[in-house]
Amino acid sequence: MNEPSKFNWTGWLVFGLFLLLWECGSRASPKLQLYIPPVSQIVVALSHLIVSGQVTTHLLTTMRRFLEGYLLAAAIAVTVGVALGYFRFAHSLTEMLIEFLRPMPSVAIIPVAILLLGIGDGMIVAVTVYASTWPILVNTIDGVRHIERTLIDTGRTFGLARRRILWQIVLPAASPYIVTGLRVSLSIALILVTTAEMIAGNKGLGFFILDEERSLQSSNMYAGIILVAALGYVLNRLFVVLQEKAMKWRRGMVAREGL
Amino acid sequence: MGGETTVAIGNISCQVDAGEFVSFVGPSGCGKTTLLMSIAGLIAPTAGKILVKGRAVNGPPPNLVLVFQEFNKSLFAWRSVLGNVLFGLDARGKKVRESEGKAKALIELVGLKGFESHYPWELSGGMQQRVAIARALAYEPEVLLMDEPFGSLDALTRLELEDTLLRLWEELATTILFITHDIEEAIYLSDRIWVLSRRPSEIIEELWIDFPRPRHQVTTRAEGRFMEIRNQIYKQISNENTA
Amino acid sequence: MRESKLNGMFFLLALLLVWELAARAEWVNPLIVPAVSKIVGTFSELLWSGQIPLQILASLKRAAVGYALAAAVFIPLGIFMGLFDNIRRALEVTVEMLRPIPPPVVIPAAMLFFGLEDEMKIFVIFFSCAWPILLNTLDGVKNIDRVLLHTASTFGLPQRKIIWQVILPASSPQIMTGLRVSLPIVLILVVISEMVGSTDGIGYFILDAQRRFRVAQMYAGMLALAILGYVLNQLFNLAHRSLLPWHWGMTKRME
Repeated sequence: MNEPSKFNWTGWLVFGLFLLLWECGSRASPKLQLYIPPVSQIVVALSHLIVSGQVTTHLLTTMRRFLEGYLLAAAIAVTVGVALGYFRFAHSLTEMLIEFLRPMPSVAIIPVAILLLGIGDGMIVAVTVYASTWPILVNTIDGVRHIERTLIDTGRTFGLARRRILWQIVLPAASPYIVTGLRVSLSIALILVTTAEMIAGNKGLGFFILDEERSLQSSNMYAGIILVAALGYVLNRLFVVLQEKAMKWRRGMVAREGL
Repeated sequence: MGGETTVAIGNISCQVDAGEFVSFVGPSGCGKTTLLMSIAGLIAPTAGKILVKGRAVNGPPPNLVLVFQEFNKSLFAWRSVLGNVLFGLDARGKKVRESEGKAKALIELVGLKGFESHYPWELSGGMQQRVAIARALAYEPEVLLMDEPFGSLDALTRLELEDTLLRLWEELATTILFITHDIEEAIYLSDRIWVLSRRPSEIIEELWIDFPRPRHQVTTRAEGRFMEIRNQIYKQISNENTA
Repeated sequence: MRESKLNGMFFLLALLLVWELAARAEWVNPLIVPAVSKIVGTFSELLWSGQIPLQILASLKRAAVGYALAAAVFIPLGIFMGLFDNIRRALEVTVEMLRPIPPPVVIPAAMLFFGLEDEMKIFVIFFSCAWPILLNTLDGVKNIDRVLLHTASTFGLPQRKIIWQVILPASSPQIMTGLRVSLPIVLILVVISEMVGSTDGIGYFILDAQRRFRVAQMYAGMLALAILGYVLNQLFNLAHRSLLPWHWGMTKRME
């Protein structure tokens, strides 16, 4: 269980070798270099982009869209999810609708959003909200429905009002599920923002990466990919830290959801 | 697990004869399981030696098999009852053709006739442990180690399984090393009982149980001597606990 | 149970009816939101003309190849990483470095390399389901209960047999989980890669319909995608049931 968290020398060595192989392989073949520039060149391009401030607006735009979409989705999905989980009738009405809409790959909504909202911020945020709502919604419903009846009855015997039962019993008891949903949606939101930016945008990291590809600036393109990956990594770490703070009582119960 | 080392077993020196039914009884956390795991060759003792048939144990010895308490974890969920028992025969190197009849006979012997094609998780706890026992016996071990095998079963199932085990033991003439914290179970089953102290555990008492066999859940347990032995062991263990 | 299904059906039908009426009465712009009947009509037209099946087939081919390749590479790799701690530690850093890359941004890089060919989409799909498959397999092997492994070794099984007879079957449910989690990801990435760089496939079809303002066709394409997602999920369940009947039964029992 508690492996000693020693520094993983072999792991970093292997990663270093991988980068070295990349560097040498790329330098050895000028043709390959067009597609896969040497690592050193990518690093130089990245630092250039950062220092010159060329990517700052793109990065900030992507971050803002991500946050708006994700937080909005979380607020909507948790509220609706609790309601649907708690009230049997509401759930029975919407279950089929959810089961019908959910399997459709969420990115397919992008063309509709373009049609309805045009290209721009609103469209990108809207598709992000749509896509990241599903995992949170479904998990929240599951979480609330899985709460032991006795737990709620216990609250009742203590004479708690409905509102307090909601805040002090239902939400905490369902929180492990909700957190799982929030975690899955984190990656999905980032996927949707970057995809929408690629398909219909003139700003943002998704747009930047595709644009650099089209103008054959491959070093810049890879630098953009590194930036997005870094953004994803930071967001994930942030999530884990917040989660550990918020859910001390349930540590170590995080499963792997992929993505 | 934590970094500290606990001395689970102190000085234990004992010998089991072939065909005997011997039990270890002791307070919980006294290192009974550690002892059994060492005998089974699953963990290496830091000092000392374990001999099975005169040969030192390092790694699981070929003529010995261990039945765990957690039948739900030790059974292969992806194999049927028959498949689980066949596993024991296969591990012993038996040919497939002769195996099946033998496996079926064993299943009948543990009282599961008709359940051959069921999966373990379709059975009750008691039935699952019967499968585990049949699988172990299919391996034809000379020594059968049992780590609180009936510890998580309800009281009635437990009594039933005790009798099944005794019947099998008499029929197949294996040596059984049995671990339990249930004093009466140990007395009812065994030829000999070793009472273990707390960590680092040592044998504090050796008792020979000479009730006639076959034993009977009602009459054997009703004998005056039965209670005497029980109380004697209980005192020793509870002294240990408060000491 | 039955009653709730009935409720859901009525609710869904009511929604569709409202949609239909709203479009017909032009409460919403029917050019942007056409009536349900029109969408369904277009859908069946495109279905019988073979246009939608053709596009779906193109998408499915890419999805299947990428998915199968990822499974063929990352299941064995995950097993090795689970069995041998050295291998796991050696590859851990590289995996953790590549994992945070959102799969869609790999598309431009793949386009540089493969152009707009099928290989581009296959690579992107391969990359996108690598991590769920790898990490779930790894976890599946690493989380096998000690009692089970002890049992196997007390029966004196050699290492090779333990791997085939115990470790593989015991980790198969979680390997299955990895494959299941990857399924929607695969579908999403096919659609994205076809939207960004392709001349056929259902993703391209939908975006193209939007760009040409063939709105009913666009919705019909989405309907086809929803059905495809549903069918694939059912097929997966079927595969799960016939490949791991014991596990299927076990989980059904626990519910």
